[in-house]
Amino acid sequence: MRRTRFWVLLLGGTALLAVLGTFWLSRSAGGGTVANVYQDGVLVWSIDLSEVREAEELTIEGPAGGNTVQAEPGRIRVSGAGCPDQICVGQGWLSGGVTPIVCLPNRLVIRLEEGENELDLDGVSG
Amino acid sequence: MKGAKKITVMGLLTAIALTIFMAEAQIPPPVPIPGVKLGLANIVTVYAAFALGPGEACLILLARVLLGSLFSGQLMTLMYSLTGGLFCLAAMLPLRRVVTERQIWVCSAVGAVFHNLGQLAAGILIARTPALAAFLPVLVLSGLLTGLFTGLTAQFLLLFLKEK
Repeated sequence: MRRTRFWVLLLGGTALLAVLGTFWLSRSAGGGTVANVYQDGVLVWSIDLSEVREAEELTIEGPAGGNTVQAEPGRIRVSGAGCPDQICVGQGWLSGGVTPIVCLPNRLVIRLEEGENELDLDGVSG
Repeated sequence: MKGAKKITVMGLLTAIALTIFMAEAQIPPPVPIPGVKLGLANIVTVYAAFALGPGEACLILLARVLLGSLFSGQLMTLMYSLTGGLFCLAAMLPLRRVVTERQIWVCSAVGAVFHNLGQLAAGILIARTPALAAFLPVLVLSGLLTGLFTGLTAQFLLLFLKEK
């Protein structure tokens, strides 16, 4: 039986590391200006946000009702989703950084990257 | 506790866990980060692990996860819940023997962190996106906080029922 102090230090230390990690990730600049939209790990839409002049919208079908993705000059977001939790809509605009926008029910991920990046782990793309 | 009484208690606990799970599903997510939720139904899992035993806790959790995703109509989330739940138990059951009855919150917090790690791994595999790993620190932090909360609740419950 460990003393309670041991557990407080262990869990507190982990929490501190997690806070530092969160802070570090939120500060990192990340990649470029190309927004890549993936579904099931397959690139379905790629748009250079620095070259967007007028708002563009794309609806992507998905297993949980699909998503509507909206791109504006310099930023991109999910403006509508068919799933009940609406977490991806709540994540708001993405304009930088390494944290992606994610819709798990529709298996949709939006990342900002240096360029068009086929991130297909199955190696189907050629 | 054994026989009919044990089965009754397990059925009751499953029903309580399902009710809490469904009630929590009606509340909008507190923060827009995938995977972050309070996980109040886990109070029952922690309670069962300490009051009944590892096998019973496992059965109650499995019944709650399967029925919960069925009732909420979100079969998509079954894989996430299942992986998370099993990771959580795998961390909690060995720890259960190491902590005292006033350190149950430790067991629960570690379990919640592992639950989130399991869900993250499932998310990375299902959505085939390693970029999800960017959520790792946030999910560790939220697991610690929510696990602490559910663990303390279960601990108070256990100590209270013991005095009765």
